Amino acid sequence: MGQFTSALSPGRLKALALALWGVALLQSALSGRLDLLLRAVFHPLVWGSGILLLLLAGVEISGHWRDGSRVSGRWTSLLSIGAALAVLALPPRPSFADLAANRQANLLEEPGLSFVLPPAQRSLTDWVRLLRSEPDPRLYAGDAVRISGFVLPMPGEEPHLARLLVRCCLVDAVPVGLPVRWPADQPQPRADQWLRLEGVMVSETMGERQRSVVEARLVQPIPRPRQPLEP
Amino acid sequence: MIAVERLATTWALFQALLVEAMPFLLIGVALSTLARWISPGGKWVRDLPAHPLLGPLSGAALGFALPACECGNVPMARHLLVKGAPIATALGFLFAAPVLNPIVLASTWAAFPDQPWLLAARPLGALLIAVCLATLLRLLPEHELLQPALLEERRLSQPLGEVTLLERRSGLIGVPAGAAVPALGGSSRRPPLGQVLSHGGSEFLELALLLVMGCAIAALVQTVVPRQWLIAVGGTPTLSILSLMLLSLVVSVCSSVDAFLALGFAAQVTPGAVLAFLLLGPVMDLKLVGLFGILLRPRAILLTAGAASLVVLLIGQWVNLLLL
Repeated sequence: MGQFTSALSPGRLKALALALWGVALLQSALSGRLDLLLRAVFHPLVWGSGILLLLLAGVEISGHWRDGSRVSGRWTSLLSIGAALAVLALPPRPSFADLAANRQANLLEEPGLSFVLPPAQRSLTDWVRLLRSEPDPRLYAGDAVRISGFVLPMPGEEPHLARLLVRCCLVDAVPVGLPVRWPADQPQPRADQWLRLEGVMVSETMGERQRSVVEARLVQPIPRPRQPLEP
Repeated sequence: MIAVERLATTWALFQALLVEAMPFLLIGVALSTLARWISPGGKWVRDLPAHPLLGPLSGAALGFALPACECGNVPMARHLLVKGAPIATALGFLFAAPVLNPIVLASTWAAFPDQPWLLAARPLGALLIAVCLATLLRLLPEHELLQPALLEERRLSQPLGEVTLLERRSGLIGVPAGAAVPALGGSSRRPPLGQVLSHGGSEFLELALLLVMGCAIAALVQTVVPRQWLIAVGGTPTLSILSLMLLSLVVSVCSSVDAFLALGFAAQVTPGAVLAFLLLGPVMDLKLVGLFGILLRPRAILLTAGAASLVVLLIGQWVNLLLL
C-alpha cells in the first residue's frame, strides 16, 4: 500500500500527465489524425508542443527526486491523465455529412482560381470556385469531370458530392458541393460515403434558373483520403 | 444511428479544438514562465507612470514584454503591485496585457486570417476596457481595492514618505527600511531553472483542464444545440452579444486560445458578438473570479465584472452598428 501511494505521489502523477499530453499530441501527428483535424500549416506546432511536453515531464521526474520542487494538485494531474488517455484511445471519426448539415454551405470568400486547369484535372473545389466566379452553365456543358468527395444529402433534391474547406481546423469547416445526376441503374449512395466520380458537366433547370450538374457515368467507392480537408 | 454519428462528430470537433489550441497554451505558459524567471522588480517598477491615462497604457504595453494569458497575468500583476508599481499601471497590465501580447494576437490571426478588422478591434477594445476599469478602480482607496495581505506586502516596497511605519504593520520599527525591503519584499533573486520549469508544468496542467472543459462546451454547442436556435439567437444583435458574453464567462478559457473557440460560433453570430466574446473573457470569467481573489477585494471584483460587461456590450453594439 505504501509503495502504491508512493508510486502515485503528486510529482510522479504530474510527470505522467505531462508525458501523456505530449504522447497524445505526438501520436496525433504520427497517426495522421492531424490531417483530419487541422490545416497542415499548424502541424509543426503540434509536433513541437508534444516534444516540449515530454521534455517538461523529464525535467519534472529528475527535478522532483532531486529537490522536491512544487507540484500541482493530485486531482489536477488525475483529471489530466484521464483526458489525455481518452484522446489517445478514442480516435476522431467525424461524420462529414453530419458536420456539413449543421453548417452554412458555400461560404467561400476566396477569389476565383488564379488560373484555370483543364476540365478533367479540376478538383471538386476547383469546380465550385470556377462556377462561383463564372456561373453560366453553357460554358461548361459537355466538359469532362473527374472529382472525388463525400456524399452530402440535400433536402428536396439528390445528394451532392462535397468537400469540407477549412481555414484553421475542423471547427470552422464549411461544405462546398456539386449537384450530381446519379446513374439510374445504381442505388443511391449513402451519406458520408467517399466516392470518385467520372462524368460530364451538363446544364439543368432548377426552378427558374439554369445550373451546372455533374452527370455521373462512373461511380467508384474510395477510402477517405489521407488529407480530406482542403484550404 | 444519427446519435452515434453526432457523438463521433462532437468528439472529433473537441479533439480538433484541443489539438489546435494546446500548442498556443503551451507557448503562452512557457513565455510567462520565462518572464517570471527574469521577473521585473526593483526601483524601475515604482517609477512607472501613475498618470490616469499613461499608467494603464504603459501597463498594457508591458504585455508585449511579459506575454501571458490572463492566468499567468494575475500573479505577475500581483508581483508588480508588491514591488510598488502605481495602481493605474498594474491594473492596466492586469486587464489589457492578456490581449495585448504577441501570442494572443498570433492566435487571433491564426483563427481569423480573413477578418483583419478583428485583429485591430481586439487590442483596441482591450485597451479601452483597461483604461475604463483602471480609471474606475483608482477611485477606490487602496485598502478598499487590494487584498489586505497584498496591501501589507506592497507597503513594504513603498517609501516611508508615502506610508507610515504603523501602516506597514511589519514590526520593522527601528530597522532601516532599505535593509528590510529586500529581505521581506522577497523575490528579486532568480529562482533555479528546474523550479521555474516545474511551476510552468503545474500551470500548464491546471490551464489544460480548463481548456478541455472549454473545448467540450464549444464542441457540444456546435453539434447538439439545433442550428435554428443558434441562428435565431446569433442573428439578433443585442441577444447574440449577451449570449456570447455569458458563454465567455462560463467557458473560462485562456486568452491565448479563445479565438479558436470563437471560430466555432463565428458563422452563426453577429461580428459584435464574436468581438464581445474575445474581449470579455480575458478580463472576467468564472476562473478569474477565483484568481482575482489574490489581488482584489470582493467589492472591487464586482465592480470590475459590472463595468467590464457594460463596456464590452457597448463595444459589441457599436461594432454591430458599423458592420451589419
